[in-house]
This record gives sequence, structure tokens and C-alpha cells, in this order.
Amino acid sequence: MKKEEGNNMENCADVIIIGSGVIGNAAAYYLAKRGRSVIVLEKSGNIGNGGSSRNGGGVRQSGRDKRELPLAIYGVKNLWPTLSEELGMDVEYYKEGNLRLGKTKEHIKILNNLSKNAIESGLDVKMISGDEAREICPYLSKEVIGASWCPTDGHANPLLTTLAYYRKARQLGVRFITGEEVTQVRKIKGKARQVVTKNNVYEGESIILASGYESRRIASTFGIDIPINKVLLEVLVTEEQPPMFYQMLGTAAADFYGHQSKHGSFVFGGSSGYEAFNKDNGTPTTSSITASAVCRGIMKYFPILADAKIVRTWAGWIDDCVDHVPVISFVEEVPGLILACGFSGHGFGISPTVGMLLSEMVVDGKTSIDLEAFRYDRFKAKI
Amino acid sequence: MSKVNDRSRDIGKYMVQPDDDIIICRCEEITKGEIRKAVYEGMFTITEIRRYLRTGMGLCQGQTCGKLVKGIIAKELCISTSDLESSESRAPMRPIEMRVLGNEKRGGE
Amino acid sequence: MKRYDVIVVGAGPAGLSAAIEAAKRGLKVVVFDENSKPGGQLFKQIHKFFGSKEHKAKIRGFKIGEELLKEAEVTGVEVVLNAIVIGLFLDKEVTVNVNDEVVHYKGDAIIVATGASENMVTFDGWTLPGVIGAGAAQTMMNLHSVQPGKKILMLGSGNVGLVVSYQLLQVGCEVVAIVDAAPKIGGYGVHAAKVARCGVPFYLSHTIIKAEGDQYVTGVTIGEVDNKFNIIPGTQKHFDVDTICIAVGLSPMSQLLKMAGCNMEENPKKGGVIPVCNEYGETSIGGIFVAGDVSGIEEASSAMIEGRISGVAAAFRLGFIDKEELKAKARELEQALLSLRQGMFGPGNKGKDITKTEEDCDVSINLLKKGYMTDEEVVKYPGVKSIKGIHAVIECSQNIPCNPCQDSCPKKCIRIGDKITALPIVDEKSKCIGCGMCVASCSGQAIFLVNEDYEEGYTYVTLPYEFLPLPKKGMKGVAFDRSGQEVCEAEVVEIKSLAAFDHTNLLTIKVPKEMGMKARFFKQI
Repeated sequence: MKKEEGNNMENCADVIIIGSGVIGNAAAYYLAKRGRSVIVLEKSGNIGNGGSSRNGGGVRQSGRDKRELPLAIYGVKNLWPTLSEELGMDVEYYKEGNLRLGKTKEHIKILNNLSKNAIESGLDVKMISGDEAREICPYLSKEVIGASWCPTDGHANPLLTTLAYYRKARQLGVRFITGEEVTQVRKIKGKARQVVTKNNVYEGESIILASGYESRRIASTFGIDIPINKVLLEVLVTEEQPPMFYQMLGTAAADFYGHQSKHGSFVFGGSSGYEAFNKDNGTPTTSSITASAVCRGIMKYFPILADAKIVRTWAGWIDDCVDHVPVISFVEEVPGLILACGFSGHGFGISPTVGMLLSEMVVDGKTSIDLEAFRYDRFKAKI
Repeated sequence: MSKVNDRSRDIGKYMVQPDDDIIICRCEEITKGEIRKAVYEGMFTITEIRRYLRTGMGLCQGQTCGKLVKGIIAKELCISTSDLESSESRAPMRPIEMRVLGNEKRGGE
Repeated sequence: MKRYDVIVVGAGPAGLSAAIEAAKRGLKVVVFDENSKPGGQLFKQIHKFFGSKEHKAKIRGFKIGEELLKEAEVTGVEVVLNAIVIGLFLDKEVTVNVNDEVVHYKGDAIIVATGASENMVTFDGWTLPGVIGAGAAQTMMNLHSVQPGKKILMLGSGNVGLVVSYQLLQVGCEVVAIVDAAPKIGGYGVHAAKVARCGVPFYLSHTIIKAEGDQYVTGVTIGEVDNKFNIIPGTQKHFDVDTICIAVGLSPMSQLLKMAGCNMEENPKKGGVIPVCNEYGETSIGGIFVAGDVSGIEEASSAMIEGRISGVAAAFRLGFIDKEELKAKARELEQALLSLRQGMFGPGNKGKDITKTEEDCDVSINLLKKGYMTDEEVVKYPGVKSIKGIHAVIECSQNIPCNPCQDSCPKKCIRIGDKITALPIVDEKSKCIGCGMCVASCSGQAIFLVNEDYEEGYTYVTLPYEFLPLPKKGMKGVAFDRSGQEVCEAEVVEIKSLAAFDHTNLLTIKVPKEMGMKARFFKQI
């Protein structure tokens, strides 16, 4: 590894990762495991302060774009089941299945379509009746007439998973620095080498840009645009409840999604319908109407939760890519640069797989799962 | 704006202290030792400790333990409590039943 | 959506005062409070307030609360109780949990006056039932008529700890000790003196080591600390108690402001995280104001003035008054606020080691360490003079902004002057008629009438007395000195309770002649 003239040895590493979310932290961990030196730079004061700590925790294969399925299936089969053990910390992974609920004939139609697509891709999803759904989860409203059921789906704790990767990577010698805002990635003699922040300059053989929505701004400093938009998501959290059910839940009508956590509290996400247009004050602000709407959505399916107390709501931004799947890609015209962003609200479930693949990209120059669908240059005009 | 914070800097090793089993966060029953240990595992901020251990996530949302947790982290890191950013504050200010939160009347006529 | 000119969050002293000032100027105001009774902390304050007439001195806290409520009603303020403001969103929108539903409101201005919460301190056993905040004990006693316990240890010697200790005595609890890790008593000397003469001991430079008990508190061990806050071996002391009250300060409940996106700062002198605001209490978000403890821990008197300032400022912002009126009224209110912030305990003097009063008298060291002045110290103050016949003895030795005693004397025997922090001076020449108004008017209960010349061999001492049952004329008992030690036999010669005294009864006892400057409390045997 070369050192540029005038730069502090301490600020040089094999890999510089921009963004300490679950993707960046997972990549850091898998790279450290394979003997690479890594520096992770995070703009905010906290590790994992973006989408990684603000999502519903779904680890699912069903309901995904076909292109993401191989990544999702690989993770559920090979990585998630032993992740807690591997990282030395409980990430609260549950594999109790995913129920997507329907109350009307229209809902069932939607669910049928989703299931058909999934089955065609080799996923074990099937349609079940309302009664069968109630056998799996007795707390469902009698009004549920059917559901799609994927028994190998599940959920985990995104806060703990993000911090678990961080903790273990740090133990393995990865240097994490928060409060470091990246202003520019700089090419030196044709190769991406320098990561310039407000306070320092870092240098690496490989640079991974995994900064969620902020990736767009940083990518523009090396002439690449990633077509992503900020969309606000809101979540509500209940107080601890007695253990009721651990399936991941969703609805055909997209009223809400969520699950009961190991702690006992329920974490539910949902929308008022205005998410793409919600204003904020520079930070992810909750709106005054979303939580109430989500509550009404939940109670239609789980009347038993009507008296559960909500203790918290929060909001976060998704980096929604134009075709709703991420960019995970070498950028050949910027040698040394790897993009991993635009996860469009479903990055968490595939994060261990993506972290592993990013380490393969750096160390092996190729990946064990085909990433052609996620190339940075796939965005062509419609005609 | 956050200050530059190198998580690999030497903060020493976790040493057991005699009052480690005192409960600090009453709602979630988190002890002083758990908080101190978490700092050595890399959790240097109130928000990280909160996400890692659930301090401040219970019914009182940190009203009772907030200052206490801040003091413990600051002591382990040898910094002032004013160097630590407080947690986010969010609605609802008091716990509220789902059926009440969902019972929404616009305008209060 | 229903829009108000001003939405006030919190119907405590700051919130109600803000609402009144705004409503007086024609604004449509609503106040939301999560409690079932308005007045915030005021209704728990059964003691007489300090300050001067404009600060409502010598009036009991709950009376001030009643007056505020009446004024609010008269000026047309809408007060909604059992209404929790659960969120403050963009565009000055609030959501309110009231009557089992959530209602949205908008304000052209929002004044947040949500007060503060009690701090906790941890020690072995602090989570046992029986460990409660001093404020919580006050709520139990003064709002719900529940005795918090039978034997109480108070941790914290600031005004809250001292005042609540006295109120615990009034409801019949035994206060076994007041403990503070600091080397000096944090609150007013007169508040400390009130409990010291009842026999409550002070343990400064001490901390709680352990609260004992299995299911609830049954005892407590304290120990002395050195300047590194380590327990000095061999200094452990044990008390049998069923309750430990914690009075270690308050923290502003500023979560609504943080949620709204106001710039916040951590200010230890103000108690914690507060919004950055200007002299009118306006935060970094135009139209969102703060007043009272939520903007910095002080007391009810300053909260009321801050509330008025922000109410007037909101009126200006919304075009109901012009800049001249804002400036004039603000100046007047700021003067009142400034005069409250003078003296030994003013924010400017926090942390300073004050050894002399403004008059260049020595500050009583014993008062700061033990809660009472010695016989030698007490005579050095201008309120303590040896005069023939009945006369007032004012044992007031610290500069605090307070002057009801001056106005109370019909014969003008007591003088403080324009600077209300000055120590009261008893004029040797004026003729005291022994009406006792000064004794009853002193919020610190620091004034006594002494008459060495009424009966041969005896001195008659008139004390302020606020305990029940009232002693009866002729009752025999024991007199206690300032430190709570028994000093001599005493007999009740008179007990006077006039409406003008407002529940400060005047108890006159006769003691052996030489005990006149010692006897300061009475108990029946």
C-alpha cells in the first residue's frame, strides 16, 4: 500500500469506508477478517445513525424485487442463523416466518401476485386462509380472510446488528472515526485514492461509499450520479408486552409492517401516504399525522393491541433508488471506488450478504453472487 | 456539528468496580457495570449506549436515568458531560394507548 | 384546524402568567396542562414566599396559585386540564391527548412552560420502595394529604430539601437527618434554622452509603466524604428510617423544544439541557418561547416574571402591541427579575465562597455548616439588639431579596431600605407595641419578640409556630435553643392566631430570665 506524499501514515489503510451504517460496518468486519486494514468514516456523532438505526428490522426474502432474491436467500441460509454467535453478540434474529395479511378480495389478489412471483423465483411462499393464518398467529382479527406465508422469513434488531458489526470490527482493529464529514473523494493520477474530510485526508487502495442518501452528494465529487431520493419513514414503538408472536408482519394494503421484539415491545412502521412529500427541518422529523394513521392500521388487524401504550415514535430517511434496488458496484471509470447505497428501504435484511460481497470485491476482485443487476451504469433512458 | 471522535483511541481497559451492580436505568433495569462495559466495547455516545443497552427506552424515556448515564459515560471517557450530545426527543411526551393515538380529531372544534 | 394566537404548554406559575399577559392584550390563549389541577408546583408550596410586595412576598404559594387562576379566568384564558401535549411539530402544531383522543391545534406562538423533573442520585439500595423525590413527598403531603413515611432521611440541603423537611415535620414525620455531600448548606439559612431548632441534625460532607431493606427501606447508612468524594473509614452512621427523600436538584423538561428542532445547549448552571433563547424567552424558532424552570432552574417567583415577559413578547410578535410597549413592559419586568436575583444566593454568586455580608458583617459559619447560629454569632447582626421592654429580635444574617418585615411594623421599628437584600435593622428608638405582625410576616420565621422586663425573673419570648395541635395557655413544656437542644423549662402564656397572621400562630412562652436569647422553640412534655 502506497503512501501519498505528506499524508499521515495513520490515515492510510487498505480500505476507506465512508458511512458507518450496517453495510459499512459489515463490510469493515468481513474485510478485517480477511486481513485488510480498514478505516471507517462517519459524518454524524453516532455509529449507524442513518437508515440502519431507523428501519423495521425485516429479514425477509418474500416481497422483494426478483433481483434482490439471491442476496436475501443467501443471507437467510448462510449468514443470519449464526450471525449472533459469529459476532459474539445477540442480534435478536428470529426466523418465525412472514405473514402478509389481507382483509378483502382485492388484498388477496395482490397477495396472490406477489406469491406467484416469489414461487417462480424458487422461494417457499404460499397463500393460506384466514383460519390458517390465525393458527400461526392467534391474535389476528377475525376479519383477516387470507395471507401470504413465507416460513423462512424473519426479523432481527437493526440497532444491535449495526453495533454488533461495529463492535467486532473494532475489536479486529478497524479504526472508526465519527464526526468526520467527507467533502470529496479525490482521484490521484487517475485512481480514486483520497477521501477528504472537513478535518483530514485519508487514503486507501479501495474506497467503499456506503453513506445512504449522502452517497449521492459524495459521488458527485468524482463525477458519478446515483438516482436516489430521500423518502421519510416513520415508526412507532410500544411498551413491553407479554410475548405474543414473533412472525414478521405486513399487509397487502401496506397499512403497516412490523414485529414484536425480543424485549417484548412492538415495532411498527407505516405511512400516511405523504412520505415522499413530507418536509423536515434538516433532520428526520416525525409528522403529526403518521403515527395515528399507523395505529388505526394496526388495530384493524390486531384489535388486541388497542390498549398497548406507544412510548416512542421516530423517523428516518430511505435512500430510494429510481428502480428501488441498490447500487452495489465497481465503478470502472473511477478505479478503486466501490458503491454500496440506494438500498431503498430494504437493505437491512441483505446487509450481511452485501458486507460479505463487498469484502470479496476488494480482496478477490469478483463476487460469489452475480451483482450485474446492481451496476451503477444501469440507468438508461426509457426510449 | 459533531467533534471528531476516534473510536480506536486508547481509553484503557474495563475494570470491575464495587458498585457495578447498581441499577441506573430503572425502567429497563440496566446496571452501572453494563453501561461502563459498553463504553469499552466502543459505545462512546449516549445514543449508542441507548441503542446498545436500551437505557432511556423504557416508559420514562430517559427522564430519570438520562443525567446518570451521561455522567457514567463522561467519567469513563474522561470528558465533560457537555461534550456528550443528549438523545433525540420524540413524540409522544407521555405513553399513550394505540386506540387513543389512533382516535384523531383534526382541528379541535 | 383550530388555531390560537398563543398555545401555552403547562399551567404552572410561568404558563399561567404568560397566558394572562397575552390575554390582557387581546390575544386568544389556551393553556394545556397534563394534571387534573392547575398551578404546577404552586399548590404544593404551603410556605410563605420571599421577595418584596411585587413578588408576592409573605403570601403562601398555593394562595398565589389561586390568585393566578382567578386572574386567568377574569382575563379570558382557556385552561384545559388533563390535556397532555404529546408533540410539538413543524409549523407550530401541537397534538394534545385529551378525553381519550388526540386533537391537533396550531398556534401563531407557542409558549412552553413545562417545568422540571427531579434528579436522582444512585447509591446501594436506591431503587427500594421508600426512596422518593422530595418533590414527590411534597405532592403526597400537600396535595393528597398522605404522610410519606414515619421516619425520614433527607438527602440534599438546598431550599427544596430544607423546606420539604420542615413540611415533613408539620405532618408529623420524624426527620432523622439532613445530609449533603457539600461542605455547606445550600439553601437559605433561615430555612435551615427552622428545622435545626426542632432538633433535626445536619450532616454536611456526608453521603448515603447504603439504603437497607429487603422489600422496602428499613434503614440507611451514611458516611463522611473527603474532597475526592471517597468515604472516610470509620465515619459510618446508621439511622432507622422508612423513607429517604432525595432533593438533589431539578432538570428542565425541555423535550418538546428539542423535538421541535430548537437549538439546545447544555448549561449545568441552569440544570441541564435548555433551548437557547433571547431576553424575551424566544428560542431559535421564531414564535416558540420558553418560560420558567424549563428555561433554567430557578423558582416560582422568577418563573412568574419570565412567563409575563414571554406573554408580552408573544403579543408584540403577533402585532397586538407595538415595540415601545414591549420595551417598557419588558424593562419593568426585567427589573423585578433582577431584584430577585440579587443577594448571596443569586445566580451571579453561585459557587462563590461568601464570607461577609453586604454590610460587612461576618457570615455565620455555623449556620452554613450546622443550620443554626451560635449565641455569639447572632448578636452581631443589625436585627439583634438589646432593648428595654418588648422588642423584635430579627435573626436574619444572609443577604436575600426579602422585605415583608419592614412593611409589617406599624411603628416603623424595622428598616431595610431600597436595596431589598439588606439585612433588616431594628431601630432602638422606635416604640414596639408587641403586635407580633413582624413575627407572622417573616417568611423565614426568623423574627421573635423578646421582653425581659415584663415579669421579674422571666423573659417572655414570642415565637412563630406552625404546628398542630396548638399548645394551650398554661401548658408546661421545654424550650429548645437554635441547635435543637433542650435548654430550660417553659410555660405557654399566650397563643395568638389572627387572620392577619395567615396561619403563622404566635406562641409566647416564659422562660428563666437568662434564657431569653436562647429559647427559640417549644415542645410540650
